[in-house]
Amino acid sequence: MSKKPTAGPALHKVIMVGSGGVGKSALTLQFMYDEFVEDYEPTKADSYRKKVVLDGEEVQIDILDTAGQEDYAAIRDNYFRSGEGFLCVFSITDDESFQATQEFREQILRVKNDESIPFLLVGNKCDLNDKRKVPLNECQLRAQQWSVPYVETSAKTRENVDKVFFDLMREIRSRKTEDSKATSGRAKDRCKKRRLKCTLL
Amino acid sequence: MLTIGALANVKHILQKELFSVSDERLLSVVTVTKTFKKKDKRACYLCVVTTTPITVPVVSLCLVKQSEQRENEYKRKRSWALDEIKWVDGRNDQLETHEFDIQLEKLYKWYALHPHERQNFLAVLNRQIQKNVRGQRAEFRNIPSAWLSEKSPEKIAAGRTGDAALKAQQTDGEESEEEAQEFTALTDREATELGKLFSECDFAIKDAEQFIEQLSKELHDLDGANIQSVLASEQKVLKMMEHIDNAINEADKFETRLDSYEDILGHVKETMEKIGGKNAMIEIANNNNIKLMKELEKVITQLDLPHKQQQALEDPDFKTEAGIKAAIAAAQCLQQAMNSDIDSALLRLEAVQDQRKRFEKWKQKFSIFISRYMNNMFIHIGNEIGDLPLTSNELVLPNHSNVHQSLAPYTELMHWTKAMDNKTYAGLMRVYTASLCKIYDRDLRNFFNLAKMQVSDKLRSSREDLDASTTSRKAAVSTVPYGTLGVNRDQWGPGVDSADRVRFDALLEKVLAELEPIALQEQLFCINFFQMDVISPTTKNTQTTLEVMEKSVDMSQSFTAASPSTDGPFPQKRIDRQINEDVRNLMMGLFDCLEPELVIFIKSFERVDSFYSLYVLVRLTQHVMSAQDTHSFLSMTFASTLVQVKRNFDSFMKQQMQSIKESKLPKRSKAGILPYVENFENFAQTAEGIFRKSDRRTDMERWYLQLVNAIFETISEQSHEHPKTPHQVVRMENYHHMYSLLAQLKVRGLDGLKKEAKVRYNDALKAYVTHYFGRPLEKLNLFFEGVQQKVAQGVKETEISYQMAYSKQELRKVISQYPAREVKKGLENLYKKVEKHLCEEENLLQVVWHAMQEEFIAQYNYLEERIQKCYAGAMINLEFNIQDILTFFSDIARSH
Repeated sequence: MSKKPTAGPALHKVIMVGSGGVGKSALTLQFMYDEFVEDYEPTKADSYRKKVVLDGEEVQIDILDTAGQEDYAAIRDNYFRSGEGFLCVFSITDDESFQATQEFREQILRVKNDESIPFLLVGNKCDLNDKRKVPLNECQLRAQQWSVPYVETSAKTRENVDKVFFDLMREIRSRKTEDSKATSGRAKDRCKKRRLKCTLL
Repeated sequence: MLTIGALANVKHILQKELFSVSDERLLSVVTVTKTFKKKDKRACYLCVVTTTPITVPVVSLCLVKQSEQRENEYKRKRSWALDEIKWVDGRNDQLETHEFDIQLEKLYKWYALHPHERQNFLAVLNRQIQKNVRGQRAEFRNIPSAWLSEKSPEKIAAGRTGDAALKAQQTDGEESEEEAQEFTALTDREATELGKLFSECDFAIKDAEQFIEQLSKELHDLDGANIQSVLASEQKVLKMMEHIDNAINEADKFETRLDSYEDILGHVKETMEKIGGKNAMIEIANNNNIKLMKELEKVITQLDLPHKQQQALEDPDFKTEAGIKAAIAAAQCLQQAMNSDIDSALLRLEAVQDQRKRFEKWKQKFSIFISRYMNNMFIHIGNEIGDLPLTSNELVLPNHSNVHQSLAPYTELMHWTKAMDNKTYAGLMRVYTASLCKIYDRDLRNFFNLAKMQVSDKLRSSREDLDASTTSRKAAVSTVPYGTLGVNRDQWGPGVDSADRVRFDALLEKVLAELEPIALQEQLFCINFFQMDVISPTTKNTQTTLEVMEKSVDMSQSFTAASPSTDGPFPQKRIDRQINEDVRNLMMGLFDCLEPELVIFIKSFERVDSFYSLYVLVRLTQHVMSAQDTHSFLSMTFASTLVQVKRNFDSFMKQQMQSIKESKLPKRSKAGILPYVENFENFAQTAEGIFRKSDRRTDMERWYLQLVNAIFETISEQSHEHPKTPHQVVRMENYHHMYSLLAQLKVRGLDGLKKEAKVRYNDALKAYVTHYFGRPLEKLNLFFEGVQQKVAQGVKETEISYQMAYSKQELRKVISQYPAREVKKGLENLYKKVEKHLCEEENLLQVVWHAMQEEFIAQYNYLEERIQKCYAGAMINLEFNIQDILTFFSDIARSH
């Protein structure tokens, strides 16, 4: 928005989605500040930015940490719209949160109107494996259905925390280069998409 | 005793007068009076009497009275058999009791005149009763049981009185014998003697007269023999007297002889004493001579200087090794001789004085030689090295150990000079300092020039990089130093990146590391060469001065001064301090330009990198702290430089503070992130990189606190100044940024401020949302605020509609102003406005919009609820429902 052209590093916008209490904020804080906060305090919405080196290239990551509990799903539309990639988080100890991912996925696809939007299914709290309620194969099956990667993480032990963010950023980046390469070629296609959206309205 | 005697007497008399007649024997008697007949002065005697027939003795108790007419006549008044006695009462157990009672046909109360008689009597009576009475025996009351059990009552008396005679008599326990003893005049032996006598003259019984005659005749014979022997012994006595006289005469003679001998011996003794005295005198004289010899020898050996050494002193050869050795040996001998411990009295000897004068001459001469030679040498060395061209372009300080090596052989000579000739020593030290100072001056200047060149070289190369990347910016040369927090990055002057900073730091480290061994080496050499670890004596250190009187005083001082190990009047600490100071002064002379050059060098960073003071502070601190000898010249130099650097560091930080306070809002359409907030990230990262593991961390943290506080303050102050961006947004965005920065920084001391930033961010967000949110439904909100006021004034909710201003018609009018289309437009406008207010960097649009959506739904719910409550049944509804709102939101989302 600023007047001068952003000559700075590439910016990737990541949205954390998932039911309440699955550890979206914990994952974010662990990634941002290397800290794990034990006490649970429901998030409304918070935004983070960090400079990281992605495969030797300095990039910026914007993380929008969202509320799990929401009275009206439509409220999410706006920030789903702003996201370039999604970490869809559930807790492996809570089947309901796993079931809720279906709804999130659908809403994202509807808002973004894009089947191949960068998206990771994230099973958090893998340090609590003895309390697992969602079988691994079920998670993998769902990821397969959606043709998205499935990663299990632990915000507490930091297991795979960097991995999910970096994997998602890579997807976003490759998606962007693809887009810019095909700007001319796919211009039509994109217009089509827009039109498609219009017809939806 | 007397009473016993008297009793014995009475007993004897009674036996003789009364009982012998009737063939009886008196066993015990007690002199008594009847207690109730006090007037009766006549003594009565109560007796235990036994008959003396051969068969069975009959014992009885009888009372005898002295006759009233005649003293020596006794009458037997009454007599009782023992079995007539019913009981005997001693009244009490006390020994000195006089009374006792006897129950016979009636009760007799007696008073014994003598307690021991009473005791004896009672004991005997008891014994006799025990022995002789069959059947019922008399009872003894209140009598010490000892009396009754003891076999012999006299024994008790004997034990008590200690009468030896009685005791001896009664060694035998046999009772009958005891009783007999009293009346048997003859002992057994006498009896046998008598018997023998009688048997010899068996006629005696027949013819007494003949016996008497014979006895008298024998007696006569015996007398005669006695006289004869007496007469015979007189002769012998006379003879003996004669012998004694002779002996006396002999003894007299012997004595006179002894006297004469003693006289002679007295003479001899006197002579001997005289001889002894003479001998002692001779010995003393001899000893004195020996001592004198020794003393002389000592003086001579001490003051003697061999010819060879004299030569060495007069014409020293400092060029060859052997020559130096000889000169050193000679010099040391001279020193020893001059410092020799000679008694002050001896110093008055002319020869000694002469010798000392000679010494003094030699010393002066030699000292001059040394001075000249060393002077030349120092100057030569100085020139020689000074003439050498500086070839090296590398950043190394030349090592001058070869100079030290070439001077090493003369070390002893310098020590000698120090001890013997302070003036020359000081002069030489000055020359040395002057010559070497030149060298070090040149070395250091060159060294630092090279170092500075490297700094500017690096600078140039980095500048070129900068130029290449941002040509446009370079055109306008700015005066604002690089990294100033309060000024936007665009306006900063040229700066360096962290890689350059690391290189500068390494360069500084190299410079410091180069300085250390050189300075240390020189210092060690100087201490050794000039013997600076020994305190230089202030008083005269030789005895060469001829003023004898002062000498004794001087001497003691010079000796204690020459040997500081025996810490005489100087406490060790003071000596150390003195030495340190001397060494430091010398080093200061040698490395004259070190400190200014070092300061200039460090300053050279300043032009390049405004952050220089941070890492220079850390690096120098490290060197100062790791120095072992904190008082050494180099440590002191570093320390004083460090003080300057610290001052620079503090002033740099103060400038940063100032720049924050003086910073101006950027002239952009939106305030966005303020420059100091944005710059703080870079600043903190740089500072952390430098201070993370340093001892000076606390210094930095102190400044962090001040800086962050200043940032907070300035954010709050400046938030109102922007013409377009509302102050809530300025605060929200900047505090959000600060929170994020502080969370990443993880400085423990800033945790409080981190929380504060979060609180302020949330407050600003809330303020922004609530303040801007009234807008889309403003009139409705105003209407219901009025309603709420009425309710607060006491109007019932159900009766609100009867108020003119809040009637159903009024409400309908207001509601009609907000058809769904208008609401949607209002929301879209709001979204646009928010988008306009917020900057992209902070990415808070989604957060704010999320909050606004929630707020709008909450307001909608509130209005609906109010309408249902206050205008129930009026069938009034807003012209849009929740579904509409959600659709609006979705639409807005899609349109972006």
